[in-house]
Amino acid sequence: MATLKEKRTCGQRCEDFGRFVWNSDNGTFMGRTPEKWVYISLYYVAFYVVMTALFSLAIWVLMYTLDPYAPDYQDRLKSPGVMVWPDTYGEEIVEINYNTSDKASWMKMSNILHKFLKPYNDTLQQECNTYNCTKGKYFIQKTFSAPHHTKWACPFTQSMLGPCSGLEDPTFGYNCTMPCVVIKMNRVIDFLPSNITGVAPYVNCTVLEGCDNVEKIEYFPANGNMDLSYFPYYGKLAQPTYVNPLVAVRFNLVGKKYAKIQCRVVSDKISYQNFHDPYEGKVIFYLKAMK
Amino acid sequence: MNISLRQDTYDMFEMDGDMDKKKKKKMKKKEKLEGMKKEMDIDDHEITIEELEMRYTTSVTKGLTTTFATQVLERDGPNELKPPKGTPEYVKFARQLAGGLQCLMWVAAVICFIAFGIELGRGNLTCFDDLYLAITLIAVVVVTGCFGYYQEFKSTNIIASFKNLVPQQAVVIRDGQKNQINANQLVVGDLVEIKGGDRVPADIRVITSQGCKVDNSSLTGESEPQTRSPEYTHESPLETRNIAFFSTTCLEGVATGIIINTGDRTIIGRIASLASGVGNEKTPIAIEIEHFVDIIAGLAIFFGFTFFVVAMFIGYAFLEAMIFFMAIVVAYVPEGLLATVTVCLSLTAKRLARKNCVVKNLEAVETLGSTSVICSDKTGTLTQNRMTVAHLWFDNQIHAADTTEDQSGQSFDQSSETWRSLARVASLCNRATFKPDQEGIPIPKRIVVGDASETALLKFTELTVGNIMDYRNRFKKVVEVPFNSTNKFQLSVHELEDPLDLRYLLVMKGAPERILERCSTILIKGQELPLDEQWKEAFQTAYMDLGGLGERVLGFCHIYLNEKEFPRGYLFDPDEMNFTTSGLCFAGLISMIDPPRATVPDAVMKCRTAGIRVVMVTGDHPITARAIAANVGIISEGSETVEDIAQRKRIPVEQVNKKDARACVISGGQLKEMTADELDDALRNHPEMVFARTSPQQKLIIVESCQRLGSIVAVTGDGVNDSPALKKADIGVAMGIAGSDAAKNAADMILLDDNFASIVTGVEQGRLIFDNLKKSIAYTLTKNIPELTPYLIYITVSVPLPLGCITILFIELATDIFPSVSLAYEKAESDIMHLKPRNPRRDRLVNEALAVYSYFQIGAIQSFAGFTDYFTTMAQEGWFPLLCVGLRSQWEDVHLQDLKDSYGQEWTFSQRLYQEYTCYTVFFVSIEICQISDVLIRKTRRLSVFQQGFFRNRVLVTAIIFQLCLGNLLCYCPGMPNIFNFMPIRVQWWFVPVPYGILIFVYDEIRKLGVRRYPGSWWDQELYY
Repeated sequence: MATLKEKRTCGQRCEDFGRFVWNSDNGTFMGRTPEKWVYISLYYVAFYVVMTALFSLAIWVLMYTLDPYAPDYQDRLKSPGVMVWPDTYGEEIVEINYNTSDKASWMKMSNILHKFLKPYNDTLQQECNTYNCTKGKYFIQKTFSAPHHTKWACPFTQSMLGPCSGLEDPTFGYNCTMPCVVIKMNRVIDFLPSNITGVAPYVNCTVLEGCDNVEKIEYFPANGNMDLSYFPYYGKLAQPTYVNPLVAVRFNLVGKKYAKIQCRVVSDKISYQNFHDPYEGKVIFYLKAMK
Repeated sequence: MNISLRQDTYDMFEMDGDMDKKKKKKMKKKEKLEGMKKEMDIDDHEITIEELEMRYTTSVTKGLTTTFATQVLERDGPNELKPPKGTPEYVKFARQLAGGLQCLMWVAAVICFIAFGIELGRGNLTCFDDLYLAITLIAVVVVTGCFGYYQEFKSTNIIASFKNLVPQQAVVIRDGQKNQINANQLVVGDLVEIKGGDRVPADIRVITSQGCKVDNSSLTGESEPQTRSPEYTHESPLETRNIAFFSTTCLEGVATGIIINTGDRTIIGRIASLASGVGNEKTPIAIEIEHFVDIIAGLAIFFGFTFFVVAMFIGYAFLEAMIFFMAIVVAYVPEGLLATVTVCLSLTAKRLARKNCVVKNLEAVETLGSTSVICSDKTGTLTQNRMTVAHLWFDNQIHAADTTEDQSGQSFDQSSETWRSLARVASLCNRATFKPDQEGIPIPKRIVVGDASETALLKFTELTVGNIMDYRNRFKKVVEVPFNSTNKFQLSVHELEDPLDLRYLLVMKGAPERILERCSTILIKGQELPLDEQWKEAFQTAYMDLGGLGERVLGFCHIYLNEKEFPRGYLFDPDEMNFTTSGLCFAGLISMIDPPRATVPDAVMKCRTAGIRVVMVTGDHPITARAIAANVGIISEGSETVEDIAQRKRIPVEQVNKKDARACVISGGQLKEMTADELDDALRNHPEMVFARTSPQQKLIIVESCQRLGSIVAVTGDGVNDSPALKKADIGVAMGIAGSDAAKNAADMILLDDNFASIVTGVEQGRLIFDNLKKSIAYTLTKNIPELTPYLIYITVSVPLPLGCITILFIELATDIFPSVSLAYEKAESDIMHLKPRNPRRDRLVNEALAVYSYFQIGAIQSFAGFTDYFTTMAQEGWFPLLCVGLRSQWEDVHLQDLKDSYGQEWTFSQRLYQEYTCYTVFFVSIEICQISDVLIRKTRRLSVFQQGFFRNRVLVTAIIFQLCLGNLLCYCPGMPNIFNFMPIRVQWWFVPVPYGILIFVYDEIRKLGVRRYPGSWWDQELYY
């Protein structure tokens, strides 16, 4: 025992360590002879090869069982999220601040929107989504009737956003006090936003703070409707050309030109009161224009 | 005790050897110690009474004056042993917080704080995981500290309750007046009176004495009473007769004396403080845990550094890489292990307490299991510390008496007429009496007034003849001559029982050779035969035989006095001895010994089969020591000492090859002449050792010598003289009933029932807990890897984090604690009492094989299980494995509310976060499932689990059920997602890791099979832990 209790000096410890690394007495390197190192290394190589093989097999089986068109479960996607563009963040939530007199400031906003709307370019949409959808009802497709074993998707063009399409006014109103924002609802496979037939979800914006500063709220397309023909979504593989329906909202800012706004997609199957997810079914943002 | 204590001291410190500069403080203490031992050379026993009176300004007739006594009391302080400076409670508590594992956790907590600070500094205000982790780490250390403290506090209380609280009284003469005062008021120079039954109140120079005998067994280990008289007989204060020592007991007679030392300056006080000067050794388990912490820390830093480099290489910023480094190091800390170890140890402590072993220090629980040498005191530990009749010789035959404590042994043939006469002599020629009112108490336990051998004879005759008090009344005593050292006999004359028989009966007992001188006839089978040469020779043989057994032999004889010469009413004069004292009739011999406790031989035997060497270290005489050693099996049958071989072969002692002699008896005198190396040699060469006549310092030297030879030493003892050795030993075991307070204070373990056999239990439990701790640690370590790999993969492959910090804490501190503790209930795999004690240098608690096997094999399989389940969950919810790779920065982007999964669906940040929590939960479930398999495989290290039995450890089964229930509760209790990040997962994800669990089980069974089949093979070397 005594030997174990000895307080060894640093030099002795280093020496001991040195002997551990290379012990010339019995030819061991780090406690093993080179030969044994080879054996143990081979053993571990074999072990990990087998384990990796088993793991790969497990993943392969997993992938084999998966449906390529729709996920097995959508436990987290009970209700789709909603987001606003321009998506410029402040401390915590989206803050759309711009200065009408500063070109760089409002150009930033309009550029975001231009970029965001690129897939909705009218010509592009007319090329890829050629199917003429029947408005006002769900576009249920049981079969893969579109080319390349896919399903049809309804076109949504930039121009449907009217004054907020950026076609007539490339500034989207950011050079004045009538800014446009675009609301998009996330796509979720097989999600039908409403149980009631013929009632489409629509965007409704309310002013939470600074009611006096917002004179008018306009929705494009009309009433802020998201047409039912865009639902349900059949997934990336089935509908490679699918685009989300959008709703543009134009605010007429007056007074202090500052407001906190909540835009909600209203429908009976879209919840918006999840405390833990502020973007579920609605989006809240600050809108502030400066001179 | 030996003459020159200074010599011993010198030797001792030479052995202690190297002392670093930083140990100056310790050295100072040692100097103090040495100084203290020098002082033991007192000369108060050598000087004349007059000088003594001068020295202490006292008088041998009137004592001190009261005023002077008060002054001296003020100067010297009260006459009591200062209780050893008890460690303050806060220090005891602090010690609980400063073990090896605790330090590791403190460091981890500090790192967490630093990491948290860095995160805060970078403006990341949302990441509180580090803070939680730090707080949890500290909480774990503090809570287990409190638990450990409480355990030790409880056992201290049990021990404290044994302390004698009644203040001692003493008769003192001051100003010529006899007073009774509290013994702690006595001062140097006081004239005190002691009588039979008193405890000697201080060190006393005896002035007058009448048949005073003291029991020095607690000081020197001699179980025989020592005479105390005014004569100066030896230069050593410990050998001379005119000094009586503090705390020894006066057995009989009266004496007066002058106090020469009080309180801590008494011999006892010095030995007691010698014990407090001996440093406490680290327990073997503490050393093992430190070794283990070294391994963990090394691996943690190695891993941390590797991934730091990898992270830098991948292109992380330095600060980020630094945080990764810290997180990995912290993740390596097994948070739950401290609690597991503490609980396992206290479970064993509790189990031992139930068997009457109280452990003062929790870690000492295991020490007995590692013990390879037990140095046992004889008197009171191996023996009963009471003289008992062991043999009788009558009718030319040696009869063995029953020496067991509960009279369960065999008795001898009592039909002979000679026996009746011998019993009559033994009963009548005896002055000892029972204290009244002890009818209910078994005879061996009754309190007797009288010296040790008379007590033994009284109890013996009470047991064999019955009701001696009444018997003596029937033979009315006429006259009596007490024993004195010149006559060496004692006699009494009695009237006979039969009122018609008017003869007197003279009975005599004494030293056998003196008795024989006075005899002319001998009783054989009731016949008086002339005592011729043949009988004398028979007597000599018997006498030598009994003496050789280390027994004290007394001869007994009697004679019916001639009715005519000594008619009724004859005036017997005890001083003149005007009656026949020769030509008596020899009845027989009775020999006595302090017999071994009944359980001891068996316990010694068990120790030896367990590979533990039992060495006797006693203050008693070599012959007695040897006899007892042979009796209890410390010296086994057929073992010879060098002297025995010399005698058998008729060659000089020097020519005997020392290696041939298994046994060796060394006395204190010889030991004093030996150098440290010679002592080491002796201990190495002779497996069976007995040290006799040793001083407390020499006991210390013997213990040190054993430790130098690499043994872990347990010392058992009861007396003050054992206390330094008890302290020095790796584990000191003191006797609870017979033990002195000094011994109990110095010991780590106390046997409440004084049963040496409890040591065997201690050894067994210690070994078992060592084995089981190994299993517990292996179990606990394993899951470190599946807890760590998610983070490593997260850093290197940038997948969404598979396992969160809080979840890890739940695994470590909630679900896995009970199963790891339940391994402490596992039965031993093999007969652990037939194995050699572990080699502290080779058989480590945590060895390389254990760590590597747990980490890189079982841990790896568990990691694969976790990742399979993780990828399954992700894929089934829409995130294919290949998409996950490199997804991290987008996944964790709080501002990205429409991240597309593999099916094109768009996810908000919160949806992704809850998906991440789902991953945490499935990873948690995977670890749990694999850990169930892990706990099953850890039940055994060598045997197949089928051989050990699945359900034999009920606690383990309960623990698994508990673990599953707790896991379910965490998963499915409402509110969990937002509090502890557990999500209610789909039932099938519980079953994804099951094949891996089965794989773990099968793989380990194959490993065990290989280990069993091919012991010593490469497989065994690499894979047996």
